[in-house]
Amino acid sequence: MGGIEMDESELLLHRFVDNDLTPEERVRLLTALDQDAVLRRRLLEIELLVAEAGRLPRLAPSSRFVAQVRARLREAGATRWSRIRDWLFTPRALRWNPAGALAVAVMALAVVIGVARVAIDRSAPPAPYQVSSESTVLVRLVLLEPQARSVAVAGDFNGWNPERTPLSRVDGGVWTATIPLKPGRYHYMYVVDGTQWVVDPFAREESLDGFGSRNAVLDIEPPL
Amino acid sequence: MGAGRTAPDEHELLARSLRRDPDAFGQLVERYASSIVSLAYRMVGERADAEDLAQETFLAAFKALPTFRADAKFSTWLYRIAMNKCKDWLRARRAAQGALEAEAEDLFAELAVDPATPERALSQRQVADHLNRAIQKLPPLYREAFVLKHVEGLDYEEMEQIVGVHRDTLKMRVYKARTHLCRALGALQETR
Repeated sequence: MGGIEMDESELLLHRFVDNDLTPEERVRLLTALDQDAVLRRRLLEIELLVAEAGRLPRLAPSSRFVAQVRARLREAGATRWSRIRDWLFTPRALRWNPAGALAVAVMALAVVIGVARVAIDRSAPPAPYQVSSESTVLVRLVLLEPQARSVAVAGDFNGWNPERTPLSRVDGGVWTATIPLKPGRYHYMYVVDGTQWVVDPFAREESLDGFGSRNAVLDIEPPL
Repeated sequence: MGAGRTAPDEHELLARSLRRDPDAFGQLVERYASSIVSLAYRMVGERADAEDLAQETFLAAFKALPTFRADAKFSTWLYRIAMNKCKDWLRARRAAQGALEAEAEDLFAELAVDPATPERALSQRQVADHLNRAIQKLPPLYREAFVLKHVEGLDYEEMEQIVGVHRDTLKMRVYKARTHLCRALGALQETR
């Protein structure tokens, strides 16, 4: 091991420093030391080294060290449930902007419409003995127009009369109306502020109206 | 090291820590922070790295606490974890240079005394700096043995538990380390 050869005297010196000699070995070394100045010098060097090493200053950890370890310990010691609890109940600041809020509102509306359609489908009476062509389905129309003063819908189902079916304004600039329709295919448009005709942005289908514009198309399936 | 100055409530802190009480273990961290940071610093030579390794040591100890045997000294167990962390770190850094011990001879040959030869007597601080640099130049296995024996002041029995190597091997490592460090310091003495 290593690149140093040690003779017996050198080994005895090291074992002497470690207080690891038998009484006989100790006498032999002390005799050799008495006769050999070089050996005495070697012993002195080792003793000096050991003394210097023992005086090396202990390093104080930085001021933030213990705090950092404590923080990581708390993370490590937290159970899964306590992490979930902390996540649920830790107060958070909500940062938002109008564009983000609008995007969220649109997504929320899409969800509302989807749920409403499913709910309408599921709430439709099974009526196994009724003639399905006579059944009606409640359809909820929704339009996001925060700046509008009025919104109405005009289509096949009301003779394209924008005054017959107004939508009501709810929170956040959302306009809505629920109308009963028999199964069939309907074309319609929204009328904003009495003059502006708008295609339903959530329409699943659009069609040309023959005058260069598009209508929204709504297909109402008969209830099961 | 701190083991010899163990406070009476160490067992209580360990018992609470075993029940996953991070505050109790935090008190043990405060108690041993200086020892472990110093040990890591002697092994890796950089304060920031030493603190990172000490952090990893305490976290590993907290996680592995259920495996700690109550009849062992906590400080010895902590030292063993710290030494393993340091050796892993050194091994990763020296991966391109081969195994630690295989290169011991070459590294010994590279040991060099600082060529600076100030005319005035060296202060205690300068001697300490010089010794510290010389320790850093020892091959890690010899460095480990020397630091545990003479910087931390442990006996060979405790070193055996920390390093997991027979005491006769540890003694030889300490002897070799001393011999090389004596050469380094001896050359320094000649410059005084």
